[in-house]
Amino acid sequence: MTSLRDQIKLHEGLVYDRHAYGKGPGWDPELIVEKAAPLSAIEREGYDLLSDVELEIFYHKMLTIVEEAREVWQNLSISDIILAGDMSTAVFTPSGDLAVASTGIHFHALLNYAQSKFILKYYRDDPTVGLRDGDIFFFNNPLAGSTHAPDMFTAMPVFHEGELVAWAEVGGHQGDCGSVSPGGFNPYATSRFEEGFHMAGVKIGENFRIRKDMLDYLCGSVRNPFVFAVELRSRVATCLRMRDRILREVERRGPAAVSGGLRRLIDRSSELASDRLRQINDGVYRSILFNDTIGAEKGLVRIPVTVIKEGGEMTILVQGVSPPNGKGPVHATWHLVRASQAVYLFAYFFRGLMPNVGLFEPLTFLIEGPSVANSPEDVAHTEGTIISAAVVQSFHIIGSKMLFDSPFRENVSAPFSRNMVALVFYGSNLFGYRATGITSTGNGAGQGARFDGDGEHSTGFYWASMTDAGEVEEFDARYPFTIIARGLLGTDYHGFGMYRGGSALIEVSMAYPNPVVMTSWGTSDVISHNPGLFGGYWGPPNPRLTITKNDALKLMAEGALPELTHHSLAAERQLGGDYAFESSSVNPKEFEIGDVFLCDTGSGGGYGDVLERDPEAVMTDVREGMISADVASRVYRVVYNEETLRVDHAATEALRNEERQARIARGKRFDDFIGGWLAQKPKEHLLTYYGDWPDPRVPGYDKPFWGEHD
Amino acid sequence: MRVRITEYLDIDLEREFWCCNRCGGDLISAREPYKRGCLLHERDPREIHKPISDHPVFNYSFDPDWVRIIEFYCPHCGVMVENEYLPPGHPLTNDIQPDIDALKRKHAGGGAS
Ligand SMILES: [Zn+2]
Repeated sequence: MTSLRDQIKLHEGLVYDRHAYGKGPGWDPELIVEKAAPLSAIEREGYDLLSDVELEIFYHKMLTIVEEAREVWQNLSISDIILAGDMSTAVFTPSGDLAVASTGIHFHALLNYAQSKFILKYYRDDPTVGLRDGDIFFFNNPLAGSTHAPDMFTAMPVFHEGELVAWAEVGGHQGDCGSVSPGGFNPYATSRFEEGFHMAGVKIGENFRIRKDMLDYLCGSVRNPFVFAVELRSRVATCLRMRDRILREVERRGPAAVSGGLRRLIDRSSELASDRLRQINDGVYRSILFNDTIGAEKGLVRIPVTVIKEGGEMTILVQGVSPPNGKGPVHATWHLVRASQAVYLFAYFFRGLMPNVGLFEPLTFLIEGPSVANSPEDVAHTEGTIISAAVVQSFHIIGSKMLFDSPFRENVSAPFSRNMVALVFYGSNLFGYRATGITSTGNGAGQGARFDGDGEHSTGFYWASMTDAGEVEEFDARYPFTIIARGLLGTDYHGFGMYRGGSALIEVSMAYPNPVVMTSWGTSDVISHNPGLFGGYWGPPNPRLTITKNDALKLMAEGALPELTHHSLAAERQLGGDYAFESSSVNPKEFEIGDVFLCDTGSGGGYGDVLERDPEAVMTDVREGMISADVASRVYRVVYNEETLRVDHAATEALRNEERQARIARGKRFDDFIGGWLAQKPKEHLLTYYGDWPDPRVPGYDKPFWGEHD
Repeated sequence: MRVRITEYLDIDLEREFWCCNRCGGDLISAREPYKRGCLLHERDPREIHKPISDHPVFNYSFDPDWVRIIEFYCPHCGVMVENEYLPPGHPLTNDIQPDIDALKRKHAGGGAS
């Protein structure tokens, strides 16, 4: 019997199981693609020292260590993005593999290993660097294993009587990285040399202290030196707290038991992941998304995902991807695409299992390169998360289709919103120091609809399982802008379905009390990355809106500012002034005091056929302003009294049956439909960066389904 | 025996056939993409997602130059089994190809789905 995996046909001349670039100063991609390291001497010695029960207790102890560390960091930090939870704290094995992660951003923890493994291989025995107790390392280089330059990682080895027993590591987004653009995101960057400083496993401290010269170098390279210095110190303090706690466990249980125990947690996760996979139907599953920007320009880019599930293993194939364009920062790396899948895998697919690198052991990642998903060395990288998240969204859809007929149906849902328009501000705040960063209102994304209910509104940050959108008053103090309205109301601004998607948190902010520089980046201005599931409609696109020369300040002075919502601003132009609806990706621009910005991260897709939505739930949506009367009758086909919102159930059922009959009348049989459909093609100017149409890698592809090349 | 694979799709294991979960009607052989057994309809996305602002492009709806909706209906009862949002003319997605032989082995002996 041939294996399903044997059906995969990889294109010659492209790479899949490794990066599309080679070794360089501070990075070695060969190290990054390796699975968990073989047992080291101390790991082997301690592997069986703990009984199963003791291992469970040990895991919970380690979990309290990383969770406490998370709180330590958030209490010490003054960086909004860290306070909002765009961060992770984790304990790694002596060999540098992720063993225990906090509830922060799991994919950060899955990138940090690159640093420790590089240090172990190349710096530990180098007489000019070395590895000693009290050392502090720092990295943010995307080629060395980071996401993008604003994501920064700090690591400390944990030694006990001269022996390396673990690593304490933290990772999180920083407000600035010395890029050509404030905040680090520059949609117009064409190479990585415009994206700030790139450090790869640099020793920035010794003897448990940050070196003054390194601190000055880093703070002298960014626009927010005060925040950066506080931030870096809080990271080191967090690592030190983890180190203290780990050493207490070492004293209690012995160094080998701790190191071996950490390693065994990885193997345990791996076994449980395989177990779960074996309970899921074997098969080949596919999903595809397209991006609408390369940064500075609009352009169609293709990102298809195929998952082959067989027994206790799963292969994730990203093939037929648009080639790298070198014209913008929307380029991901092999490791970023892999690590990003933790967003879906850890929170949904493998929910309940210990989140560590062991969950990745039964998985094989084949990511076509060079492409926008597995990019070459010198392209710009900062918005590579757009690509890696598009793979996550497709994986989420695929996973839901795999899990429906399994014991894990409770995890079936449409994906979390990923329609980014990220506003990045730079200016002086109320305290008088310079601040820059993304507003963490982005953490209030809408959830996709679930198999048994609507998606939750404003659930959290796409990338992390536990995040906060921040307090308005604290934002006003720390950021160089002021929030004048915040709420949920985005009428008709989510995916419709039997169960509807959750709405985004919508923020209206103003340049006040100073002018600000604002740049923005994102995707999904004319398309969407928020698919629906099983016939549910998608969450809608999310372009950028700024309102200049407006009358908001005057209205506020008069006490007459009306309630501002997404719909009242975008549809009704409730404020006077100049409305700029545009692409999410705009270069830094100065804004005057009083200028207004609309920000949200989009709403989730729906689940199931709209004609199966409970008419009373449709009325609740109307009552709450989630949908208009037009959508209630035109999309959901509910007949009701517009004043009392009382449903006429018999008339509704009749109207819905009429629509079902209309579908049967207008729907075409496959063979009658497909020729006319395939004869169409997007306008030529949309395909500049696409590659060959319709398969970027297969000239003349003419099959009715994608992914069936010879 | 029928196994429910998605919200709207069953597989009749004996006959190896995709069936509609709502009305029980046959779609097509389970070794074919179920979409071949559906009725298909192409939509301008703005029919469902009405533009919210009056901007010609950036209006919080989908631009039909970039994307169209294809709806897949059960030919017997008209339920919407699935949809796709694709650039005009892009090949469709064969989204679920279950290993039918493995599925039959799993259910051999008459276990409930
Ligand atoms: Zn039917």
